[in-house]
Amino acid sequence: MVAAFDFVPAIVLLPFVSFLIALFAGKYMPKGGALAGIAATAGSLLLSIWVAISLLGVSGERIHQETIYTWATGIGDQPWELTFGVLIDPLSALMLIIVTLIATLVHVFSLGYMNDEGETGLPRYYAGLGLFTASMLGFVVADNLLMAFMFFELVGLCSFLLIGFWFRRDGPPSAAKKAFLVTRFGDYFFLIGVVAVFATFGTAQFAGPESFPVLAEQAVAGDTSVVNTTFGLEPTQWFTIVGLLVLGGVVGKSAQFPLHTWLPDAMQGPTPVSALIHAATMVAAGVYLVARMYGFYAVSPTALAIIAFIGGFTALFAATMGVVKREIKQVLAYSTISQYGYMMLALGAGSYVAATFHLMTHAFFKALLFLGAGAVIIAMHHNENMWDMGGLKDKMPVTYATFLAGSLALAGIFPFSGFWSKDEILYEAFIYGLNDPLLLGGWVMGLLAVPITAFYTFRMVFLTFHGEPRSETARNPHGFGWNVKGPLSVLGVLAVVAGFINMVPVQKLTGIELDFLTQYLDSGGEGLTYSGYNALLAEYGGYEAGVVGTEVTTLLIAAGLSLGLAVTGLLVAFKLYNVPEPVEHTAKLGQVKDVLYNNYYQDEFQVWIAHRTQSVAAVADKFDQGVIDGVVNGVSSVSLFGGRRMRKLQTGLVTNYAALLTLGLTALLLAFGLLGGWFV
Amino acid sequence: MIIEALIAFTFAAALLVFAVPNKYAGKVAFGLSLVPVIGSLYMWSLFESGGNALTGGDIAFETIIPWVEIAGIQVQWFVGVDGISLPLVVLTTFLTSLAIVSAWTPIKERQSQFYGLMLFMEANLLGVFMALDFFLWFIFWEAVLVPMYFLIGVWGGPRRKYAAIKFFVYTNVASLVMFIGFMALVFGLNVETFGLPEITQALANDQLGTWFGIAPDTLKLIAFLALFVGFAVKVPVVPVHTWLPDAHVEAPTPVSVMLAGVLLKMGTYALLRFNFTMLPEQASLLAVPIAIIAVVSVIYGAMLALAQTDLKRIVAYSSVSSMGYVILGLIAFTEFGVGGATFQMVAHGLISGLMFMSVGVIYNATHTRIVSDMSGLADRMPVAVGILIAGAFAYMGLPLMAGFAGEFFIFAGSFGSTFLPYAPIFTALAMFGIVIVAGYLLLAMQKTLFGEYRLETDYEVTAAPLHDVAPMAVLLLAIIALGVAPWVFLDMIFDAVAPILANGGGL
Repeated sequence: MVAAFDFVPAIVLLPFVSFLIALFAGKYMPKGGALAGIAATAGSLLLSIWVAISLLGVSGERIHQETIYTWATGIGDQPWELTFGVLIDPLSALMLIIVTLIATLVHVFSLGYMNDEGETGLPRYYAGLGLFTASMLGFVVADNLLMAFMFFELVGLCSFLLIGFWFRRDGPPSAAKKAFLVTRFGDYFFLIGVVAVFATFGTAQFAGPESFPVLAEQAVAGDTSVVNTTFGLEPTQWFTIVGLLVLGGVVGKSAQFPLHTWLPDAMQGPTPVSALIHAATMVAAGVYLVARMYGFYAVSPTALAIIAFIGGFTALFAATMGVVKREIKQVLAYSTISQYGYMMLALGAGSYVAATFHLMTHAFFKALLFLGAGAVIIAMHHNENMWDMGGLKDKMPVTYATFLAGSLALAGIFPFSGFWSKDEILYEAFIYGLNDPLLLGGWVMGLLAVPITAFYTFRMVFLTFHGEPRSETARNPHGFGWNVKGPLSVLGVLAVVAGFINMVPVQKLTGIELDFLTQYLDSGGEGLTYSGYNALLAEYGGYEAGVVGTEVTTLLIAAGLSLGLAVTGLLVAFKLYNVPEPVEHTAKLGQVKDVLYNNYYQDEFQVWIAHRTQSVAAVADKFDQGVIDGVVNGVSSVSLFGGRRMRKLQTGLVTNYAALLTLGLTALLLAFGLLGGWFV
Repeated sequence: MIIEALIAFTFAAALLVFAVPNKYAGKVAFGLSLVPVIGSLYMWSLFESGGNALTGGDIAFETIIPWVEIAGIQVQWFVGVDGISLPLVVLTTFLTSLAIVSAWTPIKERQSQFYGLMLFMEANLLGVFMALDFFLWFIFWEAVLVPMYFLIGVWGGPRRKYAAIKFFVYTNVASLVMFIGFMALVFGLNVETFGLPEITQALANDQLGTWFGIAPDTLKLIAFLALFVGFAVKVPVVPVHTWLPDAHVEAPTPVSVMLAGVLLKMGTYALLRFNFTMLPEQASLLAVPIAIIAVVSVIYGAMLALAQTDLKRIVAYSSVSSMGYVILGLIAFTEFGVGGATFQMVAHGLISGLMFMSVGVIYNATHTRIVSDMSGLADRMPVAVGILIAGAFAYMGLPLMAGFAGEFFIFAGSFGSTFLPYAPIFTALAMFGIVIVAGYLLLAMQKTLFGEYRLETDYEVTAAPLHDVAPMAVLLLAIIALGVAPWVFLDMIFDAVAPILANGGGL
């Protein structure tokens, strides 16, 4: 019987094939390989949907794990097996759909953004998109940490290639380098984590009775014979260290503080690529990884608390910087950092479902916003400065309507998708935070970011679409076709409705069963379910929900607070920027604005580190040339002198070398004869 | 007999090429060099791994013919391969052929001598990796230096004489130290032949007696140190590495390919064969200092690469860094550590070969290697630059390419090593090399390949000719193939490594 699960490798391989086609045959094809890419990603999307539906049909444990390829294997009694395999459970099935859907829409949109705009190098572009999608899909289906790491790195490569797509300019290659280097710094810790997982558990499998999260739980429960910890540490301490090491990669890729600095620069890439990076691939990879190995984090509460705090801080920190940006894509970049901060906060707060939920809704509305921004950029002849825009809503109604839907979702306004997921995150952080000050701190920061998010989002909307046109191009925007409007419409609908699949607050208020996503995510295999994680958290993490009054009042307080703050932010933006001739109100912030506009000068700090490193390298080079090589030259001056003498004696190259060689061989023979004669 | 045929043919091919007119020498040499490639692949196809040649395992394609007697000890023509040497034999034949093709463009004079020497060097390298008698091995080992000396000294850059003599004297002095150290061991052992298996097993059975009043353990320690110094120069590790950048900068492209690709592996191969196989207890004793040397080589070598402004020096110093990983893997003394180190020898051979070829192709077109002299080359030579970028990412350890496989095996093997104290710390420190390597390669790429096209020299850059790009493409394919399927070599390597570890005391 043909089963959907047999086609999981094909989901990954189809975009890979489109990569090969675009790379080697793209220039002979009508759209530079775009059609192959669209066909491949659409095929993967259909297969992913089939897989997700099949998973619903599976009775009992909804999980499919299969080892496909053995990459390397040791010998001996209990050899390490380094394998590639697929792990399909509700989490990965959901992620597959998100990635393939966004990738397909991005491919279609690229027809309008790249082909119709007359870009050159299209085969390279579509090859990059194909490889990017394939790498991300490989990462999503990975059934072990090593395989996940490998595809995680390939995702990094693809981001380098695509961010630096316009390599003839100065900006994009620099941004590409920064993206790879900063995430590589995070991946350094991740790789130590992978190695440590192997050394500790002898396996890196995510699921199954011999998987490392299960072994970790056994060890924490007292059976330390199953693991080798290092430096005589207690299992909990050691797992916290390993968890934080892996987190290094997450912080890098998901652009969390302090490794977020690459992401705004990455706006140098083509806009559809930004949509792909922010919504479905690179940045999503970090958060997905934590969700994928959540069983391991669930037994190290210290690591989780740190995750929550980093997340909450990043959410607030990035939001403040988004307030003062002039370019439309810069605002979106900081909003991405901020929104992934929310997901990290959710993961740290023990709310695996809320994080996944927000990952999904964010993927839709952020892809929408980027593609919408891309449409605006086409219309504006590639001018991204919002202060040159204004009044675009009448000229591009489809873009405006969808962009507005995405913005309402981003701002967390009821009943758009972002409201449901963000509200769930804040609610969970709140109730668990009532018993844990670090979590509560994360919640406070997340809550403070809410009005700021609504403010910068609608500042962007009003500046771009409302008021009077502030430049000639804004008065006569460039048109575009169905390949731009189509993807926008699909995502616009999703940005509105995607939240309805998990209306937990409504369920709690009315009792009607509306938490479909929660149920879906709770139906995975043993040790991979929502309730399984909750049990671990309660047992080893001391996670306990607090209430203010009753559950319903707690719920109303949390939801009311976040919605009220969001509306406040929106209204402030409305008051300040929904006017015919808006002015830079943020300039009134004075020096604060400069600090924010310059991103708290962290880029300067990182540049400073890079320069320091290069100075150290220069000193090392001087030391090497002067001292180490100086000693060598000093010692060997005798032989060099001899060489010079010989050259004086005998002109002509060949004889010179022959003399030297003879000398060398004589010396050797002498030594050998001496030794031989001595011991006969 | 196949080994004899392989080595004899390569020698004969070298002589033949010496006699061929310059005009045809390159093509003829390439054609002839394909025979050893096929020969080594044929050996690979017949090979069945059966342990380590030195510790009493099966020796494939073995031949033993008594030769002469020196100091009462029999010298033999004793050759054979096992899972450690076969991958290196394949690497040698493969890389020589490609290096010969990469010489077609840059080598414009005395071609027949150049290609003859390349083949002569190949024959000796094959001998180094297949000889199992110490004397025979030593003859090949020394004989490799002769063609290398000429190749740098005749066809090299402006400071070729300095570089060639430095290379020759430095490694020769090291060989002498190593030779004396090993001889002391042999004479203390009372063995009948110079056969390496016999010596290894005699040492394992504690047959070493007191020699000139020196206790066996002291003698072993002296021998270990002498051997280590001798091989460390060849690898090279910090602080005996300074001959390498000079040699690379002056050497023409194909010679750099051979130097980085194969000659450096002689050092790590010998370390594994002699120090770690024969004297594991001494290795254990010196584990911490050796690990420090490894970590310093990785980080310091990478920092030096970061400081360079000459593309070739960047790649040269990065070799020092990469070889540090190999030393770390060896001293970890675990299955994945030592096996990964052996794998990394092959992986680094391919990747550094590709990088030197890439730099060579840039030099052919621009006649400069200084980073600040050029920018935006990607615009003019897209295919060559594309392969260069892929090669650079391979060097950075991109997964599914050979470099990642080698490095990951080494790191995974060394992190949990019980042989090396503080193994996790040493491993984590060495791993930081993967960040620095990305730093200097990305920086160099950004400056030279991207941005607006600009060249300070008076040449016009056009797409590289096919015969320059083809060997790069072949190498890239090999790198990807090994990265996707490392087991093609790893299985036989593990098989040959396991007995060494068992020898080392229950690890």
